[in-house]
Parts: sequence; C-alpha cells; structure tokens
Amino acid sequence: MPNQFHKLKVLAIDNPIKEATTITFDVSPNLYESFNYFPGQHLIIKFFINGEEVRRSYSLNSCPFKEEPLQVTVKRVNNGLVSNYVGDHLKAGDELEVMVPQGRFYADVQEEAYKTYFLFAAGSGITPIISILKSVLIASPNSAVNLFYGNANQDTIIFKSELEDLQQQYPQRLHIVHTLSEPKVWSTWEQWKGRKGRIDAEAVEWFITNHPPIAQSTEYYICGPGAMNISIRKTLQGLQVPKELIHIEQFGGNVEELNTNIEAVDNAQLTAILNGQTHQFKVPKGKTILQVLKAANVNPPYSCESGVCATCVAKVTKGKAEMKVCMALEDKEIAKGMVLTCQALPVTAELEVKIS
Amino acid sequence: MHLSIALIMSNQRSMPVLPVEAYTSQEWFDKEQKIIFGNSWQFAGLAEDIQDPGDYIAVQCGHQNIVIVKGRDQRLRAFHNLCRHRGTQLLRAVGKKQKALTCPYHDWTYDLNGQLVSVPEKDKEFPDLELDKICLHKASVDIWRGMLWVHPNPEADPITKWFDGVWEHLGPHNVNRLIEYPDSILEKIINANWKIVAENFMDVYHLAHLHSNTLNMYDHAKAEFGFIGDHYVFWEPHAKDYGENLDKLMPFKRIAEMTDEYLGAFVPWLFPNFGLSETESSWSTFHAIPLAPDKTKVIIRSKLEPMTDWEFTKQQWKSGMSWHGIMGGETKYGKKPDYDSEDPMDWNDFMEEDVYVCEQQQKSLQNPLFGVTATAKHGESTVRNFQKIIQRWMAS
Repeated sequence: MPNQFHKLKVLAIDNPIKEATTITFDVSPNLYESFNYFPGQHLIIKFFINGEEVRRSYSLNSCPFKEEPLQVTVKRVNNGLVSNYVGDHLKAGDELEVMVPQGRFYADVQEEAYKTYFLFAAGSGITPIISILKSVLIASPNSAVNLFYGNANQDTIIFKSELEDLQQQYPQRLHIVHTLSEPKVWSTWEQWKGRKGRIDAEAVEWFITNHPPIAQSTEYYICGPGAMNISIRKTLQGLQVPKELIHIEQFGGNVEELNTNIEAVDNAQLTAILNGQTHQFKVPKGKTILQVLKAANVNPPYSCESGVCATCVAKVTKGKAEMKVCMALEDKEIAKGMVLTCQALPVTAELEVKIS
Repeated sequence: MHLSIALIMSNQRSMPVLPVEAYTSQEWFDKEQKIIFGNSWQFAGLAEDIQDPGDYIAVQCGHQNIVIVKGRDQRLRAFHNLCRHRGTQLLRAVGKKQKALTCPYHDWTYDLNGQLVSVPEKDKEFPDLELDKICLHKASVDIWRGMLWVHPNPEADPITKWFDGVWEHLGPHNVNRLIEYPDSILEKIINANWKIVAENFMDVYHLAHLHSNTLNMYDHAKAEFGFIGDHYVFWEPHAKDYGENLDKLMPFKRIAEMTDEYLGAFVPWLFPNFGLSETESSWSTFHAIPLAPDKTKVIIRSKLEPMTDWEFTKQQWKSGMSWHGIMGGETKYGKKPDYDSEDPMDWNDFMEEDVYVCEQQQKSLQNPLFGVTATAKHGESTVRNFQKIIQRWMAS
C-alpha cells in the first residue's frame, strides 16, 4: 500500500539555523525497504494540531547513499500552522504518521554516469537539492555539481557549515555560489564579500557562463518559490537548454500559471477506480475530483492540494478534465490523460478516472 | 635449397598476430574504419579549441564527419556533419560565433541544438514539411582530461567508462592549466599503416636500441607497462644522469604537479589511435589519423607550464648548453648530428628515427620474403596484445 501512513518515531530535533527545524526519524528495520528513496523526494507527514488533521509534504534533506537516518527540515513561515508547531512543540520521542517517500522531482544518480549537475535553490528549497548534491558526490564519482544558492542574509543559510565541509572534501567536483538578497552589512563575524541579489535571469546567465560543464551530459534541478522557478526555467530555455533536462520542484505559493478559463460541467457523473474498487459520484460545479473523493471518505491519495506534489495523480480513461494549476506534470503526460485530482474539474458530463 | 625452404616455412607472413593484409589492403582498411573508428571514442582536440558559444570544429570519425559546437548554455553538442535535406556536408573545418548552422547547398538552417529552423521557399516548395520534426543526426561529445572526444553514436557509453581505470596510470598533470604555445603544432605524413605507427609507439624493446642516443634520458630497464582494457599504459623513470641534473637538462620549465615521486615519463596509447607523452616539463598529444592502408597523418600538440618568454629562452639555453657534456651528443652510429643529411638517422631526433623504421617496415611488406621470425617475450608483448585487441574488434 504506497499511500499508507506509518508511525515513525522522532529520533532527534535540531536547529540548523534559528528559524528552521530538522526532524530526524527512526525507521524500524522492517520498513527500511518501503522507506527507500531517490534524492529529491519528499515525505508526507500527518499532524494533529488543535484536534485537526493536517498534512504537509517535506523534502528529505538526508542522502539515501549514506547510512544516515531520514531527515526533513522545516522552516518557520509567518503564522504557519505546521511550521510553528514543529518549531515550538515537536520533540525527540514523539511519533508522527508518515507516508513512504515519493515525488517526481528526483535525480536517478548512476555510479557509471559522467554528468554535470546544475542545482538552483532558494531558502528552504535547499532541502531536496542538498540531498541530490550529496548523492551525486557520493554515488557518482566522476560527476560534478555546481550549486547556486540564494538566501535573504547570512543568518538564513540552511546547511551552511555542511556545505562548507563538502566543499573542502570535494574541491574538484563541487562548486558553490551563495547569493544574498539582503546581506547584513556587519554580521557577527565578517562582512559579506560574496554575490548579492536574487537568482534572477541575469544571475542565472552569469552562473551558467562562469561554470561551463566538464562532463557534457548535464541536468538542471531547481527548487524555490514559483516565480524564481519560472524565471530560471525561462532563462535556461533561452540559453537553449533542452526542456527535458530541467527539473523543477515548487516551494511555497505564488503560482503564475493559473488556468481560470475552465468551463466545468455541473453535476458531472464521476466514476473513480481507486485501489481496485469502483465508486460513483456526482461532481457539483467548481468542485475538484479530490474534494469529492475526500468528502466521500474513500481514502484517496493526496498531499499538497496545490498542484505541486503529484501525489494525487490519476489517469482519465473516459471523458475529459482540466486542471486549474499544474506544476507537476509534463505536457506529454497531460496529453496521455494524466491529471492531478486536486486541481481537476470535469469538463464532460461523464468522467472516468483511474487512481493507482 | 632445403635451408631456404625451411626459412620461408618458419618465416610466417603475419605481424605476428594479424595477417600482412591488415596493413596493406584497402578492404581491411575500410572495415577497420567502420568497425573500430565508427564505434569508439575519438580524440577531437583540446578543450580550449572551442571557446565561445557558436564556435565549432569538424572532425573525422572513420567514415563519418562530426561537428562539435558549443551552445549558449556552454554545453557542447555533436552532430553528424550532414544536411538532412540531401546529405551535403554542412560545415567546414572550424568556425567562430555561429548563431545557426546553414548548409551551403540550399541554405537549410539548423539551430545550435541541431533543430531545423528554416527552409528557403518553404511554403511553395515544401508545403507539408514539418520543420520541428527534423533534427540533425546526433553524436556524442565529452571532455576528458582537458581534451575533446567524440563518438558517432549518440547513445555511447560515457567516456569515463571507455577509459575506466586508465586515469590512475596517467601523470598528475593538470592539463587545463597548461598552455599550448602558438605555432607549436607538428603535422607529419608517415608512409605506413596506422597500426605500424601504434605498434612502434608501444614497442618497449626498441627504446634502448633505435633510440640509444636520443631517449637516453630514461631508464628503459625500469619501465612499467601493461594494458587496462584496450588501452596501453606506460611509465619509466629518468636515467640516473638525467635525473640528477634535471634542473639543468630539462628543456622547459618544470610542470608544477610533477613532484619528485612522479618523475619520469607517462606514455600511454589510448585505443585505437591516440598517444600521450607526459613528462616533467611537457605534455603532448600524438594523434595518428589513418589516411590510407599505407599512409597515416600524425598531429602532435604540446602544452607547457605557463612561463614568460624569458623563462622559456633561459631554460632552453641552459638545457642546450648542458646536454652534450652530460648526455652525449652523438647519433646511434657515433656520428655528430647532421641536420642537412639525407639520412634521417643522422638527425639525432627520436621522432625521425621512428618515422624511418615505420616506413621501412611498411615497404618490406611488399617483399615476398617478408616475415616475422619471433617477437620479444616482454618488450614486444605489447605489440602482440595490441594486434589481439584489433583482431577481437574486427571479429565483432
């Protein structure tokens, strides 16, 4: 059962920076195999806060090629329900319900490959990126990594010292450029002499031009807020990086590609095949497929409910559905009938979907 | 009478593993081009040969010509140099700052990803042609040890797999840091089959004999050599006199990475047709390009430690002044070098000595009495191994 939750014990709680909390999980040996993962993937965690169930997905920052426990890192969001709960209340020994690692944003790191990885991260977007970075350095000994990492100031750089250690350990294969949008003029220890500004189009072009790849097989991984992701992708495509080499994970809000022109059908007849069982529902106008399935308590898979994580993916086998937001599927997959149920509205009177 | 028959009988017309035809026949040559050169990673130049986006070079890989071009993303792409329209060669040898690749014949134009982007008079002449479905045939390109390599197959195994285990047997030279001096490229046509050139490069037995007075900087008896897959690796230390007077004798500034523990020469032959010579003061590539069964073009390029003109002149002068007294300056036959002589053996240049014996061996292949009686157990095992590798490829 891939969508099943497992109880995992919190082994340790740490603060890599003041505003972020790293949760280390204890996975019992009988679950090792299920909790195997690709670098870049995330965990979906169930929390019970003030009597309510809420779910969040957090990217694993640990490295599957090292014998190290699973770790996610959560940065506080102003008024954020879960991030502040984690920061204020979660402690070692607590138990959390966790779904096995998943997500389509990952690197398939091969030992024999000879590749150059270009990684772009902003803020807490570093979590899946550092997992990919460590995995390449450890498991693909001929490959190299160029990381461009943006933060607000010196004090918000998550994993700063871990990255410094890796830099020392792999001076030939790892190149890191930090950029700060609002560097503190005098931090406690030194003046910032590095790059300033955000990772915008000009910065990306500068980074690519100044870090020409040695291995000519390249991959590009981007993780940060939507606007940054879109700007980096557009810049890379402008430099003629083939689309299939660019991988994006969305963190946080501000989605630009909202489809507001969907002509949804009222009271569409929905047939949902879920875990081998067939269910029939009516979909009121404006409701997503997932909203209907959740209301019916048939236990559909889902996580982010914002068109990002692809946990809720389904295949349309009859009729047609359109999505409000889709950050997780490629055009090819949409053409094959894949939809994110959390974003999909029926546009035909009858709709059949298969959820695996 | 009986004696001469016996001699001919034991005198096998093989090299000794490959038949003589492997070195003389056009048919064998064409098959080699297809099977070996069409299926292996080939040296294409130094990484700095392609500097900026839009720069390109064209190289021959067996029967196929391949273009390498740098994109705006700083990544190299390789395409078969063949317009998809009617197969005309797209680009000539080298070029700078191209925005697109245009065929000279009918101006069909491709972008730097090889995608067809424009066809003259398309609406009238090709109303149904879908441009976005037409792309140049792709090939593989990569950078390894500061050099460009191409493979005709776009799905070729990574270059690091092709050279698996070889790097550890090469010199510590940081090739990217070294500098190629202007006008230092040497090109020479050798009238011999490319495998004779390769075998000469790997023949350890001849070093102390043919080159007794030209490669006496090295202690050949202490050479360490062998094969890693299909690639040959070799290292030998300096001879005592040379090593003890290195500062005086070495022709150029010492290469920084060549610390004492490495001193000597790394001289590998990377399959099929590429040698390196990595010494204390120079780093050279030796590319043997087959032109015909009995003709090979050799291109030698050298990189040196960065130095000023004055440092260069000073070291050359010091080396030249000291050489004769310590290393001796006579030819193999005890003569003073004579650069005007018609006999290359009088020039006291190890490269010319090699060219001479390669060409002489090729000529002898026409002689009905030609044969190989025996090859050296150790010093020529490398020649036999190389021929076995060729034999295996040709049987595949």
